[in-house]
Amino acid sequence: MVDTNPFLPVSSSDGSYPTGPQITHRKPIKEHLTIFFGLLAVGLFAALLIGNNGSDNGHVHENQHGSLASSSSKKPEPLQPVSRGPAAGVSEKSNRLSANVNGNLPAYPWNNSMLSWQRTSFHFQPEKNWMNDPNGPMFYKGWYHFFYQYNPNAAVWGDIVWGHAVSKDLIHWLHLPLAMVADQWYDQNGVWTGSATILPNGKIVMLYTGSTVEAVQVQNLAYPADHSDPLLVHWVKYPGNPVLVPPPGTYKKDFRDPTTAWLTSEGKWRITIGSKINKTGIALIYDTKDFINYEKLDGVLHAVPGTGMWECVDFFPVSKTEENGLDTSVNGPGVKHVVKVSLDDDRHDYYAIGTYHEKNGTWIPDQPEIDVGIGIRYDYGIYYAAKTFYDQNKNRRVLWGWIGESDSEAADMKKGWASVQSIPRTILFDKKTGTHLLQWPVEEIESLRLKSNEFNQVSLLPGSVVPLDVGPATQLDILAEFEIDKELLKKATGSNITFSCSASGGAAERGALGPFGLLVLADESLSEQTPVYFYITKGSDGNLKTSFCNDQSRSSAASDVNKQIYGSFLPVLKGENLSLRVLVDHSIIESFAQGGRTVITSRLYPTKAIYEAAKVFLFNNATNASVTASLKIWQMNSAFIRPYPNK
Amino acid sequence: MKNIISFALLQIACSFTFLPVSQNSALELQGNGGNLIETTCKKTPFYNLCVSTLQSDPRGSSADVAGLARIGADKVKEKATATLGQITGLLTGAKDPKLKMALRDCVDYYNAIIKYDVPVAIEAIAKGNPKFGVQSLNDAANEADACERKFQNQPKFPISDSNKVVHDLSAVVASIVQLLL
Repeated sequence: MVDTNPFLPVSSSDGSYPTGPQITHRKPIKEHLTIFFGLLAVGLFAALLIGNNGSDNGHVHENQHGSLASSSSKKPEPLQPVSRGPAAGVSEKSNRLSANVNGNLPAYPWNNSMLSWQRTSFHFQPEKNWMNDPNGPMFYKGWYHFFYQYNPNAAVWGDIVWGHAVSKDLIHWLHLPLAMVADQWYDQNGVWTGSATILPNGKIVMLYTGSTVEAVQVQNLAYPADHSDPLLVHWVKYPGNPVLVPPPGTYKKDFRDPTTAWLTSEGKWRITIGSKINKTGIALIYDTKDFINYEKLDGVLHAVPGTGMWECVDFFPVSKTEENGLDTSVNGPGVKHVVKVSLDDDRHDYYAIGTYHEKNGTWIPDQPEIDVGIGIRYDYGIYYAAKTFYDQNKNRRVLWGWIGESDSEAADMKKGWASVQSIPRTILFDKKTGTHLLQWPVEEIESLRLKSNEFNQVSLLPGSVVPLDVGPATQLDILAEFEIDKELLKKATGSNITFSCSASGGAAERGALGPFGLLVLADESLSEQTPVYFYITKGSDGNLKTSFCNDQSRSSAASDVNKQIYGSFLPVLKGENLSLRVLVDHSIIESFAQGGRTVITSRLYPTKAIYEAAKVFLFNNATNASVTASLKIWQMNSAFIRPYPNK
Repeated sequence: MKNIISFALLQIACSFTFLPVSQNSALELQGNGGNLIETTCKKTPFYNLCVSTLQSDPRGSSADVAGLARIGADKVKEKATATLGQITGLLTGAKDPKLKMALRDCVDYYNAIIKYDVPVAIEAIAKGNPKFGVQSLNDAANEADACERKFQNQPKFPISDSNKVVHDLSAVVASIVQLLL
């Protein structure tokens, strides 16, 4: 059949072709051309309009967390492959899979092969069961220590105790026995999150939240039973616990997650603990000389109305000028302080940069409009309860984050485990924007790199999909740079339309200047694919705005997994090319844009794009932008995370 | 006599001024009987189901919001257990292999609700970490959805009514636990 419209049609949100005058009979050339250009203009305009489906909703309606399409507010999209386009001699229609709306797909029968593939190879996870928050990370006597919230009895949250593991390099972990269990009245209902402080004399104190027999949240002190044991296997709880109980005016269940302590100019130790008053999230502040007796300061470190309970508060300095981390007690000119909170209400981690006023123990954000809890997130995917520590071994600040599952609990039950940790990331102040932090996987991860493949200046015309032959594609480290044809950027028409990843139609929704990027965990036929991509829009003022997104909508044939599109606005400065790093490790991918200025972590559960069937592609689904991509892709070895021999 | 009347009026006036008003944290709201059930249920997606379920339990009239959540979670488990019984009953009599497969999958989903979702929710509410309760009750609703989808190619869905109750009630209780955040 003759394709009367040689240019690719724009897909609207229900997957149908744009309606316009149907060309059913021959018309004079002039009318043909008019109709043709009219359709093109309509198509371009429609592409820009589609993104305008409401604002970027940073507050995930709890119903959508790990939820199925039926409870999401957005109508499920018919599955559509990314078209190979007329350049490859393939017309749109023959490429189309039968429209398979999510609601028609049977809930997937997970078999052992699919489930066991999901286990990661180089991300920290216990041998089985449930894990959540990172606890007490530190470097001590040659070992990196990592503790974590753990359920020894099931693959769901409950019966929480402290797991423990050690590593020489933050990558190769060895499991140790449980560090602390719920054996006291003051933590019987949960040995919850806490932080370590290393004293100047080298000794360690650990503060953690216990949920008492009466489910009151209190703070407890613990310390190593034997400081000369570099593995810190055994821990002792201070007999006089709890050292802190909820103060007057604080609800007994809104008082948890004490931070690492930092020194004041008076030589006292200071900590902060998250709480709330009505719907205002707050960080309470205490001073202590001995970690046993505390004085509560009047007021709070900071508060932001409407943000709800502040969990896992973190507070630390960053250097404005140096490329290294700072000990938590450092202060002075050239230093900014970061407040980070985990919001109970929306299960996301937020941070803000500001100034610490030591005298009265307060902190003021540099930009109140992006105050903590209402501004920038560490990660726009699944990422929660993050905590940093100062690594005195390599003079850097390192960030841990808990990555939960986004499949069903029935599947978690079947596979016998749930949750992983992100690869630890270094944190640096982003000097170029002044508003962001840069996160980057610790350099030790490069020790896992095996053979690599390089692709230079791959040309991606609009509508192209390019397979990258790298061999197995489930354990990869990908570094990529994208350059867009400058002439086409200049010529693009601006408009007032705002774009947001989560409200968009994903990678199948074509715009003039996007989407383009990578397809990971994709099978040969692209029936399953996870796009990680950029989407550029041009404002009516001529300014370009870039978004960075991760589209899960076609990541799996299974319907009982999260299919949302994650992402956010990405600051791109003049003269910067678009850069991307993606770590692929079975059911987790971590994507870093512009050197870690915007990060997205997702959990993927393909049913076909697993083992040797998983592949990686470049794609450009923009209608009006030619993109050139250069990449280096490494195979990644396993980290062989296993129990410490004989412990 | 005049003094006694004035004093009595003053007493009455005072007692009205100091009536417990539900404000501050939504958590320790006074058990206010039917009023609390109604105001709480208005914040859930299925008001009538919510009200009838909570009112049917003797604990309902004196429970605070956390208590209502606990009652709701217990009811989800009760309904899910009964539905699971229906499913296993159907399984023994089923001959068609496709029907058996669908029923077996539903057994898995309902086991997840009964063994994991509800106990996690109860523990999370009691111990003061309600977000895990919201997540697991949402999962329970999703498990019920998954079971329904298994019957898409079947002539009928034999447990349609009770499955819908499990789904809807899970969504209701998830909303109530959300209030505890």
